[in-house]
Amino acid sequence: MRDISVIIKVLLMEKKDIYLSVLFGVIAGLTAVGLFSSSGYLISKAALAPPIYTLMILVSIVKLLGIISALSRYGERFFSHRATFTMLSNLRVSFYEKLEPLAPRLFHRFRSGDLLARIVGDVETLQNFFLRVFYPPIVLALVFFCTILFTSVFSVPVALILLIGFFLTTIVVPVLFAIGQRKVKSSVRKQRGDLSTKLTEFLYGFRDLKIYQQLQVKENVIDQSSLAYSREQERNGIHQLFSESMNTFLSLVVSWVVLGVAAYLVTTGQLNGIFLALLVMISLTVFENTSPMAAFASHFEDSRQAAERLGAVVSEKSFDKKIQKIEQNYDKAPSITMENVTFGFPGESRAALKDFSAVFPSGSKTAIVGPSGSGKSTAMQLFLNIYSPDAGSININGQPIEQITNESIWKHTNVVLQENHFFYGTIKDNLLLAKDNLTDQEMELALENVKLGHFSLDDEVLEKGENLSGGEKQRLAIARAMLKNAPIWILDEPTSSMDALTESHIYQRIFQQAKDDTLILISHKLTGLEKMDQIMVMENGKLIEKGTFDELMKEQGYFYKMKQIEKSVFLAGNGS
Amino acid sequence: MATLKDLASKQKSKIFSLVIIAVLSGLSIILQAYLFVVIVDLIFLKQEPFSEVLSLLIGLLGVMFARTLFQYTSGRIGIKMASKVKNDVRKALLHKFSNNPILASTKGQSGQKVSVMMDAVDEIDSYFSSYIPQVIQASIIPLMILIYIFTQHWMTAVIIVITAPFIPIFMMIIGFQTKDKAEQQLDKMAAFSGKFLDTLQGLTTLKLYGRSNEKKKEIEKSSLDFRDATMEVLKIAFSNSLALEFISMLSIGLIALEVAIRLIIFQDISFFIGFLMLVLAPEFYTKLKDLGSAFHTGRSSMGAAKKIQHELAEEQQAVTWGNERLPTDQPPKISLKNAGFYYGEATFSLKQIDVEINPYEQVAIVGRTGSGKTTLLHLIAGLLPLAEGEIEVNGRPLSSYRENDWYDRLSYISQDPYLFSGTIAENIAIGTQMNATRQEIEDAARQAGISDLFESLENGYDTPIGEAGRGLSGGEKQRTAIARAFLKKPSIILFDEPTTGLDLETERILQASIKKLAKHSTIITVAHRLHTIQHADKILFMENGQVLAVGTHEELLQTVTSYRQMVEEQQGGALH
Repeated sequence: MRDISVIIKVLLMEKKDIYLSVLFGVIAGLTAVGLFSSSGYLISKAALAPPIYTLMILVSIVKLLGIISALSRYGERFFSHRATFTMLSNLRVSFYEKLEPLAPRLFHRFRSGDLLARIVGDVETLQNFFLRVFYPPIVLALVFFCTILFTSVFSVPVALILLIGFFLTTIVVPVLFAIGQRKVKSSVRKQRGDLSTKLTEFLYGFRDLKIYQQLQVKENVIDQSSLAYSREQERNGIHQLFSESMNTFLSLVVSWVVLGVAAYLVTTGQLNGIFLALLVMISLTVFENTSPMAAFASHFEDSRQAAERLGAVVSEKSFDKKIQKIEQNYDKAPSITMENVTFGFPGESRAALKDFSAVFPSGSKTAIVGPSGSGKSTAMQLFLNIYSPDAGSININGQPIEQITNESIWKHTNVVLQENHFFYGTIKDNLLLAKDNLTDQEMELALENVKLGHFSLDDEVLEKGENLSGGEKQRLAIARAMLKNAPIWILDEPTSSMDALTESHIYQRIFQQAKDDTLILISHKLTGLEKMDQIMVMENGKLIEKGTFDELMKEQGYFYKMKQIEKSVFLAGNGS
Repeated sequence: MATLKDLASKQKSKIFSLVIIAVLSGLSIILQAYLFVVIVDLIFLKQEPFSEVLSLLIGLLGVMFARTLFQYTSGRIGIKMASKVKNDVRKALLHKFSNNPILASTKGQSGQKVSVMMDAVDEIDSYFSSYIPQVIQASIIPLMILIYIFTQHWMTAVIIVITAPFIPIFMMIIGFQTKDKAEQQLDKMAAFSGKFLDTLQGLTTLKLYGRSNEKKKEIEKSSLDFRDATMEVLKIAFSNSLALEFISMLSIGLIALEVAIRLIIFQDISFFIGFLMLVLAPEFYTKLKDLGSAFHTGRSSMGAAKKIQHELAEEQQAVTWGNERLPTDQPPKISLKNAGFYYGEATFSLKQIDVEINPYEQVAIVGRTGSGKTTLLHLIAGLLPLAEGEIEVNGRPLSSYRENDWYDRLSYISQDPYLFSGTIAENIAIGTQMNATRQEIEDAARQAGISDLFESLENGYDTPIGEAGRGLSGGEKQRTAIARAFLKKPSIILFDEPTTGLDLETERILQASIKKLAKHSTIITVAHRLHTIQHADKILFMENGQVLAVGTHEELLQTVTSYRQMVEEQQGGALH
């Protein structure tokens, strides 16, 4: 219910459209009742051969009511739909806003295909919330209220029947079916999400599936999923159809009772026969509006589920402690210190980083080396405040990072991750992320610097950079980082997919540009580290050695051994 | 794919039942009106006692029940039809996706493909669940009513015959417009889905570059575009029904006027006939109006169907396979004869590849980034279609063998292996078609040097990985892929930069493992690190999509200058 109230809040941003929808809805409903009842009266009157002018008046009233009814119906539809779709649009944006601070940890919990299904599909479902759940009952109640009042002028018993009929068709039957619906536990949404997830995964893992000949298997799984989805849809559709038919029948029965009772009253002389047709027509018309109410339950349930699922995604509390954060500007390269930092990934018993302390002085160049899984990247994710340490502190220029906004940390850092995302678009689009007002020349130069000069800025980049090789993606990411030109560099194995020549060329460029900057390079290779100010060696989440290249070689510790392995591998059989 | 109409005509028996039900519905509508009027007439004008109409009232209740029942049955058949068609279409789409060569699978955003299969397919639902039943009802019931009216009061029938044709004409004019708009709307929807998925996945990058606000605005715009497109379609639908409303109102007004004049001035018809005409005429127009709204949804379904058809009809260069068996006794001899491949309109291509690969040979493909190494590997793997030349396996074209036989003998370890959502054990077992025991899986992991990590996890090999599970680093993913290969025991292994992101110790384990694998298979490696190729029997040195030189490491060192440069860089310092 809490989730629904969030939706209502977004909905109420469109107040004017809501009022207009209700207003026009009521007018349309009342004029329709008026139209048919007056035509029933007209024909009865005509049978009694009245003077012609009464007839003319009646005919004009019928016409007028008809025109008003049609126009109001148009107004009602227009405003209610506009309100709905504006609401949907607001909802998407507000969902994104809530989602944004949760990234990237969110992707550990939800698959992206599922997220897509949620936001697109579930938001679509919520369009029924206003159109079929929120405002129709209001309109219906107002129309019935007026109609019953009007009817009571002619016959109180008939008015009572209408009142009972109203309760039956708009409250009793929908509630009964709502209970039924809960039992059925419509899982259409869930099945849809499931199918969408499997499909997305199928498309992403296509090559591996193909080679492992699992395409057929996965195809069958998806076929099953698709079957289950449409079976649920079918079940849901039939359930809804049944309630609708039930309601239609019930409203026909009410009119039937009206006819019977009114007819009886006429024979006993308690009602003028001329109103018989009028009353029956009123009943038939006013109940025409109730059959959609049968679907109320299922739409309500759908909306509730959709709202709940959307809510579940964004419900996770932001991990940031409530501390006043300040914007910081670093003109000069800042120093970074990490003191006794310990961290374990949520849901994992093994700590990824244990009691890690390090000092990165302003303008220093540090290499962090060690086997994969030793905690190198984790340390950097903590610095970027993607995760918060379980214990210990991280400071920039002596100030704890909890006190600094994430944005100011990121603004001052050039980051190249192991996996870098590229957006569907052009090379230019992807480079322009780095900074505003970049000229084409600057961007072309950046491409040249990373040996991507053969690309034109207008070349297409496919989703996730699928049309780029691993090395090209890394180089493009480096070009992007270099264009950003911030005073801190975090490079996480930025050249692992490059050949040696390109790698050395690119490192030269980076170090040239980062001359005065604080740079941290994570690497699994040990070549070219001779000129680093310090090298940190990590294993199993711990810092085990630290020093310059020469110092570490002299010490003959872990680094020395790694270097020996590397040498033996590289030199073996080389003959040079 | 067949058009929607063809799909519908496949379900002949259901269509036939719909026709029967429509006839029965028509009868019950006429009967209901007749009974209503008779009862009112008897009570109001003939002033009969209530007991006279009691049996008629009971009859009326029966007719009402029948009418509701027919309506329900008709809707139910429609839902069933839609369900079946949706399944068939999804199956066809999925089949198409899974038969695409690798190239097509990366083309376009996966989000858009998911959207076609989810949203567009759901969109065709209404064609079957409401359009077809409505069309059948609308072409039968009004005709029945018209015939009955004609037998009772021919003048009313004449008025109807004159005015009614305007309704379908209007609908068609407006309907065709709707179709184009509906397509636009689907385009917007697909664009929105694609943009959203892309943005979600790149959220980390966006945040690091401080761009998530801008993307939010893009989403907002995309979302509003979507709303406007939807409103465009709806506005047409609403004015459509407004026009229909006016036409039918005008006609009913004419009928009422004519009846009234007859009743009062000429006095040549009875109240019974007059009232009957007034009750039946709206029924006639309501059915036609129902067709109007159904026509609209039918049209938008056709827009969606076109989209699906477009996806299904897309041309693709498929890799062709034959029926010959591939002997399993030893690795086959692979010869590339003047083989070539073009990347669509892009400038990149592979040309004139002439290489012989003998059984058990270890081949390394070396070259600068972007020289075509990975593409060559794809070509040999049979993932890409040849544009020219031939790949021969044991002296016969690769295309003459069975696809399954080829992939049974082949393992491919890509730069970024895909992990499926599932446990670690399941991810390793995907390598083989056989049911692997836990022991075999663990052995494979041990040989790939990743068993320590897996065993250290709380749930060991049952730990879920993949998009929703524990994240693995690049190196860990690759070792998982190598474990797959160990389990499969293939006779041809294709490695794409196998040492990327691995630490030296693991690399050493791997070298040993690969050596073990090499005893039973031909290994073709795309390598950046020279130590992996020093033992290669044959090195293909690539430049600009061509094989520049073939030879052993020593041979190339002596004869090819750029090759020697690369090796020197690898041994010396790469930085500064």
